[in-house]
Amino acid sequence: MRKLLLLVFLFICSQEIFAAGGAACGDYGECDTFKPELNNMESLQLGALTFINHCYGCHSLKYSRWGRIAEDLEIPENIFTDNLVFGASVKLGDRMTGSMKPAVSETWFGIAPPDLTLVTRLHGSDWVYTYLRTFYEDSSKPYGVNNMVYPGAAMPNVLASMQGQQILSCKDVPIIASNGGVRRDELGNDVTEEKCGYLKTIEGSGALSVKEFDEVIFNLVNFMTYIGEPSRANRERMGWYVILFFIVFTALSYLLFREYQKDYH
Amino acid sequence: MTQESSGFFNWINNRLPIVNTFERHLSKHPVPKKVNFWYMFGALASVVLIIQIISGIWLMFGYENTEEGAFSSIEFIMRDIEYGWIIRYMHTTGASMFFAVVYLHMFRGLLYGSYQKPRELVWIFGMAIYLAMMAEGFLGYVLPYGQMSYWGAQVIISLFGAIPYIGESLEIWIRGDYYISGATISRFFALHVVALPLILIALVFMHLIALHEVGAGNPEGVDIEKHVDEDGVPLDSVPFFPYKVLNALVAIGIFGIVFSVIMFFFPEGGGYMIELANFEEANPLITPEHIAPVWYYSPYYAMLRAVPDKLGGLIVMAAAIAILFVVPWLDRSKAASIRYKGILSKIAMTIFVISWLMLAWLGTVPVTALRTNLSIIGTVIYFAFFLLMPIYTSIEKTKPVPERL
Amino acid sequence: MEEKITTRRKVLIGMTSAVGAVGASFAAVPFIASWNPSAKAKAFGGPVKVDVSKMQIGQKIQVAWRKQPIFVIRHSKEALQNLSNVEPKLDDPNSLKIEEPYRDENPTRSTSTEYTVLAGVCTHLGCAPKYYPEMESKPWDESWVGGFFCPCHGSTFDIVGRVFKGVPAPTNLKVPPHYFDGSILTIGEERGTV
Repeated sequence: MRKLLLLVFLFICSQEIFAAGGAACGDYGECDTFKPELNNMESLQLGALTFINHCYGCHSLKYSRWGRIAEDLEIPENIFTDNLVFGASVKLGDRMTGSMKPAVSETWFGIAPPDLTLVTRLHGSDWVYTYLRTFYEDSSKPYGVNNMVYPGAAMPNVLASMQGQQILSCKDVPIIASNGGVRRDELGNDVTEEKCGYLKTIEGSGALSVKEFDEVIFNLVNFMTYIGEPSRANRERMGWYVILFFIVFTALSYLLFREYQKDYH
Repeated sequence: MTQESSGFFNWINNRLPIVNTFERHLSKHPVPKKVNFWYMFGALASVVLIIQIISGIWLMFGYENTEEGAFSSIEFIMRDIEYGWIIRYMHTTGASMFFAVVYLHMFRGLLYGSYQKPRELVWIFGMAIYLAMMAEGFLGYVLPYGQMSYWGAQVIISLFGAIPYIGESLEIWIRGDYYISGATISRFFALHVVALPLILIALVFMHLIALHEVGAGNPEGVDIEKHVDEDGVPLDSVPFFPYKVLNALVAIGIFGIVFSVIMFFFPEGGGYMIELANFEEANPLITPEHIAPVWYYSPYYAMLRAVPDKLGGLIVMAAAIAILFVVPWLDRSKAASIRYKGILSKIAMTIFVISWLMLAWLGTVPVTALRTNLSIIGTVIYFAFFLLMPIYTSIEKTKPVPERL
Repeated sequence: MEEKITTRRKVLIGMTSAVGAVGASFAAVPFIASWNPSAKAKAFGGPVKVDVSKMQIGQKIQVAWRKQPIFVIRHSKEALQNLSNVEPKLDDPNSLKIEEPYRDENPTRSTSTEYTVLAGVCTHLGCAPKYYPEMESKPWDESWVGGFFCPCHGSTFDIVGRVFKGVPAPTNLKVPPHYFDGSILTIGEERGTV
C-alpha cells in the first residue's frame, strides 16, 4: 500500500508541477555557472580594479569600506590609495558611497543606478556573470544595446571597448527527434533548422578576445562575490574546523554513552 | 540530600530548594531506559532555544530598529562588527533549525502517541510553544527590513484584514502606520526580543514541569509507572544523570555537525532560510516577482492559497493549527505507539506525512492551476487525518501493548 | 543498577570534557571579539589634522580625537627652560613608569621642540584637567609653578603633563601618537604608518 502511494506520488511529481516558472537568466535561458575563487587574490585585485575603473563611476558599494578591501585583498595601502581609491578626500575607513549624486544619475539613466554591494547575493553570481556578458547591439534602445538576461536594462555596455561588438545572430542547429537523438534524413545526414537569438561577437572589433574578456568578467564577478559577503572565504575555512570539532566530540561522547549503556543493558 | 554534601549546600537548600529541585527535575529524574533517536529532539530544541537567546542578545548590539537604519545595520553586523557574521548566521540558521527540531519533536508525539492520557497538558503546552514560535519567527523575519521582510509582513498583516468589520482598522493598528514602517519595526522588535521570548520561556518551563509530573513516554507506549521499586522509582527507568545526559551529548554532537554544515557552508539554505530577495532593502512600491514564506510556514501558506476566499483562507489556516491542540481527544486508540496501532492508523499516518511534505513544498513555489489543485487535496488530507482520527482509531484492531519496556 | 567508575570511564570522561571545554572556549571568541570597536568606530576614530601655525606662544588649544580631548600647547622658550627646575617636585620626571612614545626626543615630550601634545584625560579617573600656565599662588598650591589641575580629585601636572608628587594620579598624562608636517599636526598615527 505504502509503495503504491509512493508511486502515485512520484508519477504526479514527474509531471508539469516541477516545471520552473521561467529560466533564471531570461532570454538567455539557464545562467552560465560561476564558481567563485575567493582565495585567488590576483583575480580579486584585478576584479576590484575593473570595478573601480568601470562601474564605480555610477554604482556605489555603500555597505563596504575602502580599507577592508585593501586588507582582505592584500593590497599595500599606498598602492591601494594611489590606484584604487576614488576621490582625494576619501579616507580608508569611509564607506564606498559612490561618486555620483542620485539626482544627477536619475536624469541620466531614468533610474538611479542601484548599489551593487549585495547584487551577487540578490541575483546570484551566475546571473551577474551571465548578465555582464550578454549585451548585444540593438539600435532601438537608448544606449544602442540590449541585454539577454535583463531585457530593457537601463545601462550602457560600459565594457564594449574591451568586448567589441556583440550581435544577435542566427545559425543552423540540429533538430532533436522525439526519441531524444538528432533527427536524420534517409541519407543519414543531420536535419537542421535555422534558429535565431544566438550571441556572436564580431572578431577584432574589441580590444580583447572572447576568452580574455570572459576572464575580465570572471575577475570582476569574483570581486563582486567577495564584496557581497567579505567574510565568506573565512567562513568556509572556519567551517571545516568547527565540523571537525563536532565529529571528534560526537565520537567521544558516543564512546562514553556506549560505556555507560552497559549499566542498564 | 545525601550525606556527603557540604554544610553550605545544606544551608542553602533549607532556604531555597535548589538541590531538591535539581535532583527532582534533572539529576535523578527517572526517564525510560529504552528510547530511540526520536526522543532527542526535545533536548535539542532547548539547546537551540539557548543559541537563539544568546545570539539574539548579541545581534541587538548592532541592530538598529528604524526604517532608515534596519537594513544597513544588518550589513553593519555582517561586515563591520568583528565576527558579527557568525552571530547573525547562528541566529538565522538557529531559527530554521528550531523549527526543524520542533517539527520532528511534534511528529514524534504523533507517532508514539505522546499526547495520550496523562500527557494531554504536556502536548497542549507544546502546541502553545509552537504557536509562540511561529509568531516569534514572523516578527524576527520582518526586522531586517529587506524586500521579503516587507512583502511577507504585508501579506501576513493583510490576513487580519479578512476579519469582518474590524479588519482594515486592525491592519493599521498592527502596523501603527499606513505601510510597514519604522513604527512597525520598532514594535515588532520589542515583541521579538522581549515579549515573545518571555512567553516562550514561561511556556517551555510549564511544558517541562508538566512533563516531569507525568514522566516521559517511550516508543513502545508502555506505562513504566506500573512497575516500580520500593522507592517508587520505575524499574524500566534510568536516572537522567549521567545516562540520559550522555545520550543527549551524542545527539548534540550530531546536531552540531548538521548545524555547522548549514551555518558555515549554506547559510542561505538555497534561499529557503534567508530568502534572496531579502538582500535588497524594502521597497514599498515594488513587489518581488515571487513571494514565498520561509520553509517552516509553507504548509500553512499552501493551505491559505488553496482556499479561493480571503476570510476562508485565514480560517482554514487558523483551524489547521487549532486542530493540533485537540489531538489528545481525537485519538481513541488503546495503544499509544504506532507500533501497536492498527493498519488504518499506519495508512493514515503515511498519507498525512506525504501530504504535509507536499504542502510544504507547494507553499514555496509559484502557483499554477495544477499546484492549486494539489494544495486543495493536501489540505483535505490534512484535516481528514485529524477529523477522522476518532473513527479509524476506535474501529481498528490494535496489538496488545507489552507490560514492560 | 549501579554506576561504576572504571578507569576507562574516567579517561573517556576526561577526554570528552576536555574537548567540550576547548569547543566552548572557541565558541566564546566571536561573542567576546564582537564587543571590540567596529570598523565604523575605528573609521570615526581615525587620525585628525590641525594647523598649529596660528597658535600664540603660551596658548593651549583643545582638539577632539576619538571624542577625547587632546591638548596642544605652544610653549615659550622661558617655559621650556624652566622644565628642569620643577623636576624635584615631580613624581616621574622622565616618564619611566609609562610607555613614553617619544622618549628622549624633546623636553616637550612630543616630536616637536616647541609644542606639547597630550591626552587630556587625567590618569587618575579620567576627568579632563584644566590648564593654569601662570606661576602664582593657587588655592590648591601656594607655590604653583604652572601646569594642569584636575577639578575632580585635585591631581596636578606640570606644563608638559608630568604628574606632581603627592596627588592621586599615578602617572604622567599620556602622549598620543602624532607627527608634524611643517605646521600641520596629525594626531592619531605615527609618521609613515600609512
